Amino acid sequence: MIRRPISTSIRTPFVISLLLLLTATPASAQKVYAEEKDSIPFFRGFYVSFDLVGAGMAMFTDYGQYEGSLHVNLHDTWFPVVELGLGRANSTEEVTGNHYETKAPYFKVGVDKNLIGNKHGPYRVLAGLRYAFTSYKATITRPNLIDPFWLYLDDYEIIDASCKMHWMEALVALDAKIWGPLHLGWSVRYKFRIFHKEGDFGQTWYVPGFGINSNSRFDATFNVIVDI
Amino acid sequence: MRKLFLFLSAVLVISCSSVDCPFKNMVRTYYNVYDHKGALLQLPDTLTIFTKRVDGSDTILLNCGIGLQTFGLPVSYTRTEDTLYFHFYNNDYNVYDTVWIKKENYPHFESMECKVAYFHKLTEYSYTTNCIDSLILKNDKVDYDDQTTHFYLYPDTIRY
Repeated sequence: MIRRPISTSIRTPFVISLLLLLTATPASAQKVYAEEKDSIPFFRGFYVSFDLVGAGMAMFTDYGQYEGSLHVNLHDTWFPVVELGLGRANSTEEVTGNHYETKAPYFKVGVDKNLIGNKHGPYRVLAGLRYAFTSYKATITRPNLIDPFWLYLDDYEIIDASCKMHWMEALVALDAKIWGPLHLGWSVRYKFRIFHKEGDFGQTWYVPGFGINSNSRFDATFNVIVDI
Repeated sequence: MRKLFLFLSAVLVISCSSVDCPFKNMVRTYYNVYDHKGALLQLPDTLTIFTKRVDGSDTILLNCGIGLQTFGLPVSYTRTEDTLYFHFYNNDYNVYDTVWIKKENYPHFESMECKVAYFHKLTEYSYTTNCIDSLILKNDKVDYDDQTTHFYLYPDTIRY
């Protein structure tokens, strides 16, 4: 029989005991942890928001959208959201003389996640995703178009062309509590088309909710938010 | 903070708007000239092609083409039929042919900043045979594509 040194015989039980001591939680400590456990309920209510940037563009420029959203607050962490809007464009380009009109609703559905450490504090830093869809009719005209060789006048007209677009949005948003239920915040959104159908005439210019038509684009919103 | 600054800078750079009008924005029909054996032919005559404007005056679509093997002609925006006058000439003769091309016209739109256009589908055509032996329609869709040949032109085999 091989005899182990005394130091080894003592050391092994000592190490095991030390590990047990470190992993075991005293009864008093368990009580403290229980008291520090998050007591905020899972369902925290709703909040609504309204985008001022899109509304300002709709009122003061050739195109824009009125957009509002309803968020569900789940433990200040997850925020399922439905966004509804009305996009409009009524624009005439000075150089080319092209005129474009459309007006249609759109909707978005998605979810945001609060990334900030102190979730129940007055600030929220959100990352989110949206699926969005709109079905709209576009009218494109160019009155008194002159044929450059035959020199006759004609009206270029695409009237009420039926179009639709599906797109996704990835966003980063920040909002801060201002007073009572009132928050203010902004979001930066990366939008990218996943499907669009615009007939055989080419592509439309402004798409309600998406903005100027392209494969992808960045947009920003400034939101007034009210807890309800 | 540094990451936020870089992110916002990237957003600003990427979100700059641009005008994306197509570089090739001429809507034309393209013709290839062939001899009776089917080989590309260089026209020995000078060729001028013109049409009549709405006021009845002539306007030249192709001016004094010499040694042509291929050429392109504009298409009217919305007329249902274009009438083209082909004038073949050299020191010895002047010969005229007339080509009538019927078509359907479809408005095309790229962007507010780009000029509007019409694309076309060629439906019927006919021609006189003073210098033209035959004219064959090969492709009926006319758009910005400048690589597609729409007509094969076979001049009179007696001359060539």
